[in-house]
Amino acid sequence: MPETQPTRMKTGAKLSRAVDAESPAAPPSRETENALIQRILRGEKELFYQLVRPYERRVYVMAFAILRNEADAQDASQDALFKAFKYLPQFRSEARFSTWLIQVTLNEARMRLRKNHLEIMRPIDEVEQEDGSYTPRDFTDWREIPSEALERKQVRELLVQALASLAQKYREVFVLRDVQQLSTEEAAEVLGISPGAVKTRLLRARLMLRDFLAPGLDGAWASPSSPPKGTKPWS
Amino acid sequence: MVMKCEEMWLEISNYIDAEVSPALKGAMDQHLAGCRQCTAVLDGARNVVRLYGDEKAFVLPANFYPQLHSGLVDRVEGARGQGRAWILAIAAAILLTATVLVAGVRDRDTPQLRAAMARPATERIKGLVVAADDTKVFHVAGCGYIHGTPRTMPAEEAIREGFTPCVRCLRELVERSAWNSATMDNDVASKDPAMNLD
Repeated sequence: MPETQPTRMKTGAKLSRAVDAESPAAPPSRETENALIQRILRGEKELFYQLVRPYERRVYVMAFAILRNEADAQDASQDALFKAFKYLPQFRSEARFSTWLIQVTLNEARMRLRKNHLEIMRPIDEVEQEDGSYTPRDFTDWREIPSEALERKQVRELLVQALASLAQKYREVFVLRDVQQLSTEEAAEVLGISPGAVKTRLLRARLMLRDFLAPGLDGAWASPSSPPKGTKPWS
Repeated sequence: MVMKCEEMWLEISNYIDAEVSPALKGAMDQHLAGCRQCTAVLDGARNVVRLYGDEKAFVLPANFYPQLHSGLVDRVEGARGQGRAWILAIAAAILLTATVLVAGVRDRDTPQLRAAMARPATERIKGLVVAADDTKVFHVAGCGYIHGTPRTMPAEEAIREGFTPCVRCLRELVERSAWNSATMDNDVASKDPAMNLD
């Protein structure tokens, strides 16, 4: 239709400009964000890209932590962002947009996991009783690891491997609290559990990760891909 | 307050998040000062929090942003297009319905007739016809379907008396009537008063 073509091209160009920037922008203030949402709901749909750009990385990390696979996490990120666009009218401004977006992503990743029947591969300790106690298995002194160490692929892979070894309920809490930096209350709301349960799971997650990583990251491991047998609670 | 290692481990996470009371924190600090194992556990847990909290811990796949953006733009545009497609579909349906209705009305006004005999009469049958009282049907002279006692009379009179045309010879009746009209136009009727039925 000749009449509509220029309009579409104009919108397309506007959208392209809106998403051209690769680096994530800093999250805006809550008031600015709410105003942006209102404008999107009134029809300025191209502003949606501006709204989600600061959180795209967090969306991917959330999806990756659950799915443990880059390709699935990328697809889930796109699905989650599209669902956020679709269901934006349902967003209640009492919550932070970022928290709501993370919740949408978590649900999307869980759904994908169920669809792929990946939950049958969950670690054995997932079915264990949940209680607050956890006895550390490793008392190796762990010197502070400089942030620069994360530039080494080997170290990053080790972190991913350690995170993947956690049961999903611990992994979810740990990622929400220590990676996404949500508060205990926000994490509890996202997961639909009590703040006390969040604290309990977080304690176990941190200590299990510590046990997994301590011997490797202080230089004791010869090969980071396989922790020495007998040094891990589950080895 | 003296704490055991097991009690320490339960609170390590809250200690890192500074979510312990001042009294508990004091007791934990006191324990940590003399316990190398608990210090190792605390340092390790702190390292975990710090490392995973660092943005560099997770590297995005190559071309993550361009792929995400192009896919998202397509889907958001697609969602808008779907909305427009619905409007177009509804408009097309309305247009189609209106066309069908208008065509139906026009069809009723001017029906397409299949045969010449089915068309409404544009002029009355003229000339002499043969009427049979028994059947109340009038014919063209020589029609093979005349039954009863035949009586010749003008077509108009036969119609007036309630006779109807024979469907077998109606075509010939109409043709003869047309011929009669043409001959009357040529003033033939004036020469033959019997043919003047008006």
